Amino acid sequence: MKAIVSYLKSLFLLELIKGLRVTGGYLFDRKITVQYPDEKTPMSFRFRAHHALRRYANGEERCIACKLCEATCPAMAITIEAAPREDGTRRTTRYDIDFTKCIFCGFCEESCPVDSIVETSFFEYHGEQRGDLLMTKAKLLNMGDKMEAQIAADRAKDAPYR
Amino acid sequence: MLAQRKPRPTLLTSESYAEIDRWLAKYPPERKQSAVMAALTIAQDQNGGWLTSELVNEIADYLEMPAVAVQEVATFYSMYEHKPVGQHKICVCTNVSCMLCDSERIVKHLQQKLGIGFGQITPDGKFSLKEVECLGACVNAPMMLIGKTYYENLTPEKIDDILARLN
Amino acid sequence: MATIEIDGKPYTAEVGQMLIQVADANGVEIPRFCYHEKLSVSASCRMCLVEMEKAPKPVPACATPVMDGMKVWTRSPKALTAQKAVMEFLLINHPLDCPICDQGGECELQDISVGYGKDASRYGEEKRVVFDKNIGALIATEMTRCIHCTRCVRFGQEIAGIQELGALGRGEHTKISTYIGQTVDSELSGNMIDLCPVGALTAKPSRFNARAWELQQLDSIAPHDGIGSNIHVHLRRNEIIRVVPKQNEAINEIWLSDRDRFSYQGLTAEDRLTVPMIKKEGQWQPTDWETALQAAATGMKQIVEKYEPDQLGGLASATATLEELYLLQRVIRGLGSDCVDHRLHQIDFADQAHAPLFPYLGMPIAEIERCNTALIIGSHLRKEQPLLNHRLRKASMNGAKVMFINPIAYDFNDMRIAQQIITSPNDLITTLSGVAKALLVGKNNVIPQQLEDLLADTKVTEEQQTLAQSLETGDHRLILLGNLATSHPQFALIRALAVAIAKLSSAKLGYCAEAGNSAGAWLAGVLPHREAAGMPISTPGVNAYTMLNKGLKGYVLLGVEPELDSYDGAKALENLQKAEFVVSLTAYVTDTMKTYANVLLPISVFTETSGTYVNNAGTWQSFTAVVIPKNEVRPGWKVLRVLGNLLNVSGFDYDSSEQVRSEVCEKLGQKTTDNLNSWQVPNDLSARKIDGLQRITELPIYATDMIVRRASALQFTRDATSAKGVHVNSNVAAQIGATEANVVQVRQNAAKISLPLVIDERVPDGCVLIYAGQAENVALGSWHGWVELTA
Repeated sequence: MKAIVSYLKSLFLLELIKGLRVTGGYLFDRKITVQYPDEKTPMSFRFRAHHALRRYANGEERCIACKLCEATCPAMAITIEAAPREDGTRRTTRYDIDFTKCIFCGFCEESCPVDSIVETSFFEYHGEQRGDLLMTKAKLLNMGDKMEAQIAADRAKDAPYR
Repeated sequence: MLAQRKPRPTLLTSESYAEIDRWLAKYPPERKQSAVMAALTIAQDQNGGWLTSELVNEIADYLEMPAVAVQEVATFYSMYEHKPVGQHKICVCTNVSCMLCDSERIVKHLQQKLGIGFGQITPDGKFSLKEVECLGACVNAPMMLIGKTYYENLTPEKIDDILARLN
Repeated sequence: MATIEIDGKPYTAEVGQMLIQVADANGVEIPRFCYHEKLSVSASCRMCLVEMEKAPKPVPACATPVMDGMKVWTRSPKALTAQKAVMEFLLINHPLDCPICDQGGECELQDISVGYGKDASRYGEEKRVVFDKNIGALIATEMTRCIHCTRCVRFGQEIAGIQELGALGRGEHTKISTYIGQTVDSELSGNMIDLCPVGALTAKPSRFNARAWELQQLDSIAPHDGIGSNIHVHLRRNEIIRVVPKQNEAINEIWLSDRDRFSYQGLTAEDRLTVPMIKKEGQWQPTDWETALQAAATGMKQIVEKYEPDQLGGLASATATLEELYLLQRVIRGLGSDCVDHRLHQIDFADQAHAPLFPYLGMPIAEIERCNTALIIGSHLRKEQPLLNHRLRKASMNGAKVMFINPIAYDFNDMRIAQQIITSPNDLITTLSGVAKALLVGKNNVIPQQLEDLLADTKVTEEQQTLAQSLETGDHRLILLGNLATSHPQFALIRALAVAIAKLSSAKLGYCAEAGNSAGAWLAGVLPHREAAGMPISTPGVNAYTMLNKGLKGYVLLGVEPELDSYDGAKALENLQKAEFVVSLTAYVTDTMKTYANVLLPISVFTETSGTYVNNAGTWQSFTAVVIPKNEVRPGWKVLRVLGNLLNVSGFDYDSSEQVRSEVCEKLGQKTTDNLNSWQVPNDLSARKIDGLQRITELPIYATDMIVRRASALQFTRDATSAKGVHVNSNVAAQIGATEANVVQVRQNAAKISLPLVIDERVPDGCVLIYAGQAENVALGSWHGWVELTA
C-alpha cells in the first residue's frame, strides 16, 4: 500500500508542487532582500566597526595616552607610544590599531576615560595592500573628524542606558 | 654647597647680630637653628616689618641652615611677612569666637575707613590690614592686634578712636 | 622583648620598635604614605591609623612604640572607618585624573584608595591648585598631586644630606618647593622619584613614556662606580625606559645614584656604532664582521711582525666586563706583548709591582657605616662614589670622626666633618709626612726604619697634629685613598705614607675603585706587570701613560676615548694619530675616533652582554644581557674570542662568558689581598715642586666614561654644567686681574686655550681647578702641571 501511495505521489509531482507553493508564496510576498550598496539595513547605534579617535569641539585631540585601551585589548591589536608634547601635556606619538588582529569587542571604547577611541558604525572598509589595515593615529583622527556627527549622535542615543 | 657660596653683602646691622647672638647663647652651639624664629623676628623688625629673600639667605648662612629650612619657618608662621607692610600692621581676628561677636562688622568698618582690603597698604604707608586666625583673646572678642598691642571688645567707635590716636 | 597581639594573633617584638615595623616584619598589611623604613617617622599622613586596646582614638602605627601586652586591630570597624576617613581627606585636594598622571598604575595612593578608601567622595568644592616648578633636568614635578607626606624633604635632610626641598607654608597652603628658584642638585636626587608615593615627583627623562604594566623588569649591575649598585632595568619592546634600584643591603641598600639611574640614556645615543667599519684608502666604509675582524687581525699581526711585539698596546676601560678585559689581555699577550693597561688616569707607576691584588676597599661596603674614625685622602667621594659617601655620612652622623686631606675644600653634603686639611698637590706629600711623623711619636718598629729615617726631619704642623690625634681614637679606623690620590704624580709615595699612617694608627687601609670594574681589571690582568689573578711578569710591558705618551705603532682600544679618558688627552690623541694601526672595540663612533682608528668594531654596552663586574669590596657580580643589541653589535667577549681564534692564540675555545669567568676564578683560587703589606718603602720623600699656578684636575661625576658622557639629561645637571671653565679663588683672580665669567687665556706647556673664569673659593691659593673629560680642555694636556693664566 505504502509503495502505491508513494508511486502516485511521485507520478503527480505532489512533492514538487508542495515545494513550489512555498516558493510561490515568497514570490508574491513582501521582499526582504536589501539592495546593498544602494540600500542598507537599519543599524544599532551600538554597532561596533571601524575605530576612530575623537577631538573636542575646539579641535584638541581627546586622547591623553593613558594606555588603558592598549592594556585591555584582548587581541593586543593596539600599540601606543607616548611623550610630553611641546606644551607639556601627555600625548601619544603613535597610536596604531592593527585591524587584522582586532576582534571588535569594544573593550577599548569601554575603557577610555575621555571617550577618545570609539568604534563607529562604518564597516565598509577594505585593504588592498599589506599595511592598509594597520590604522595609524592620523588615519584614526581623520576617521573621527569625518564621522563626528554620527559618533556624537550614537553616543547620545546610548547615554540613557549608561 | 656651603663652600661655594660667594660672600654676600651683609644686610643685618651689628645691633641685629648682637641681638641674634644673645639668642644663640641660649642654645647649645651645635643647635644654632633653635634661634631661627628669634633671628627672623629681629631681621623683620630691622627691615620695617617684612622679610626679603636676601635676609632669609643671610640668616641661613649665619645659623648654618639650608635656606629652604629657614624659608619653611618663615612661611609657616603668620607673623612673618614676605611683602611690605604699613607702619602699623592691623591684624584682625576672624576666627570663630570673633566671628560670632560680629568681627565682620569690624572688618567692614576698618576696610571702609582705611579704604584698603586685606593684604593691602594705605597710600600713605601708615596702615596695612591682615586677616589672622585666633590670637587667644576670645574672652574679649572681637579683637585686633596692632604692632604688639591687643585691642579688645572692639566697636566701630572704638576703632575710630584707636586709629586717631595712632595717627 | 615584648609580646603583642595584632588582629588577634600574638607576635613578639623588640621594645621600642614601632607597631608598623612589627606588622611589616610579620606580613600584616597596614596602609601608609609618609612612613618609610629608611626615613625618620613623621606621622603626618595618618593613613596607618589602627585601633588599640584602651586607647580612646585610633593611633598611628608608624609612631606608636610597642609595649608588652599591647592589643591592636588593623581591620576592626573603628580602624577601617578611620582609614576611610583619612583616605577621603587625602583625596580632597588630589586630582582624580590618574589617566594623565605618569605614576598611574604604580601609584601608592591609587592602590591604597582602592584597598582602603570609599567608593565616592563627598567633596564637591574647588580643589587646590599648585603650580609646577622646574627643579632640574632629572625630576619632573606635578605639585598639585602632592599629598605632603614629606618623604622627599626627609630624604634630603637625612639621606642626601642637603635639604633642597622644603614644605613651605602651612595647612592647606603647604607647598613642597625648593628655595626660591633653586634646583635639586643632589647626586642622589633620583631616589626622591622612587620615594614619592604619588605622581608629584616623577622621572623627567622617561616622563609619559610608558606605563608600569607594560614594563619588563630585568636585573643588571651598574658600571659607573666601584659600588656596583644592583639595578632593575625596566624595558618595553627591547627599549630601556628607566633604571631603578634593586634592594641589596650589602651594597646599595635601596638607593641608586643619579649617574647609575640616568646613564641608560647614553646607551641609545645617536653616535652608537652599529656596523663594523674599516678605513680603506682613507675612506671609512661599513663592512661585515668577517672582513672587519680579518682586517683587525692582519693589522695587529703586521705590527707585531714588522716591529717588535711590544709595539702593540692594549688599552681598556674599567667599565668593560671582567670577561672582555681578560680576553683582551690574552689576545695582546698571545701576540707576545705585555703592553696592556686600564689605568688611564694614573701617571705614577713606580711601585706597581708592590701594589695590592686589586683596589680593595679594605672592608665590605656595609662596614663603612660602622667606622668610628675615617681619613679620606684625595677624594671628592661624594661625586666619585655617591653611595660610599652615603655610608660614610651615616657613620659621621653616628658620631664617627671623618677627616679629609684634599686639594679642594669639597662640600660633603653636611657630613659632620671633624677636620679637612686643604693642601695643594705640591704639598700633599709634606702633609702626609707630617701626619705620619705626628703618629710616629712613641711607636717603635711599626714601620720600617728606612721610612722612620726619612720622616726624621719632617716638621709637624698643628693641623697635622690634631688630625693625627683624632686618628688614634675609635675602635674601627679606616683610611681611604681616592681618585685624586691615585692620579697624583707621586702616587707611590702617597701609598707608602698612607700605609705608614694606617699602620701607625692601626687603621684599615682602603682604595676607592674608580669605575665599576676597576677591581675586575686588576684581577683579569689588564696590567703590563701582572697577568690574570695577580701573577707577576718578570719583564713588564709598558704602562698606559707611557703607551700614550711615548707612542706605539699599534693600539687595540676597548671602550675608551683616549682623548677624554686618559691622563694626557692631547698627547694621547697625537700618538694615536701617528700610530700605524689602531683597532677600536667601541660602542660609539666619533669623528675624532675616525681620525686615528683603522678598524672600528661595534661592541655591546653592559646591558647587551653577559658579564661580571667585581666591585670595590671584591664582590663578583655577574649579570646577563637585558637588551638585544641593534644591528651588527656583538658582545665584546665574543668579538675578542674570534679575534683570538684568527690570531691563533691557543686555548681560545670559550662557548660562553661563564667559561671565561670560571677560568679567571680558577686562576685566582683562594688568593686574597692585603692592602697593608702591599707597598714599597720609599727612598726619598721629597715632594715634586711646581712653580707658579698648579693645576688640579678632577674628573667630574658626569664625564667618567663613554656612556655617562652621552646621557643627555645628566649633562644638564648642575654637576655637569658647573664642571666647565677654569676655577680659581678670588685672590688668584685678582692677581691676574680677571673677574667672574671673563674669558682668560690658559697656557699649559705649549698649549694655549681660552676658557671662562669661574671664581670658586674652594680652590686653594696658587692652584687652578680644571676639569677632565671635557672636550674643550683636552688640548691642555696632562692633569698636573704648571699653568699660566692671563686675562
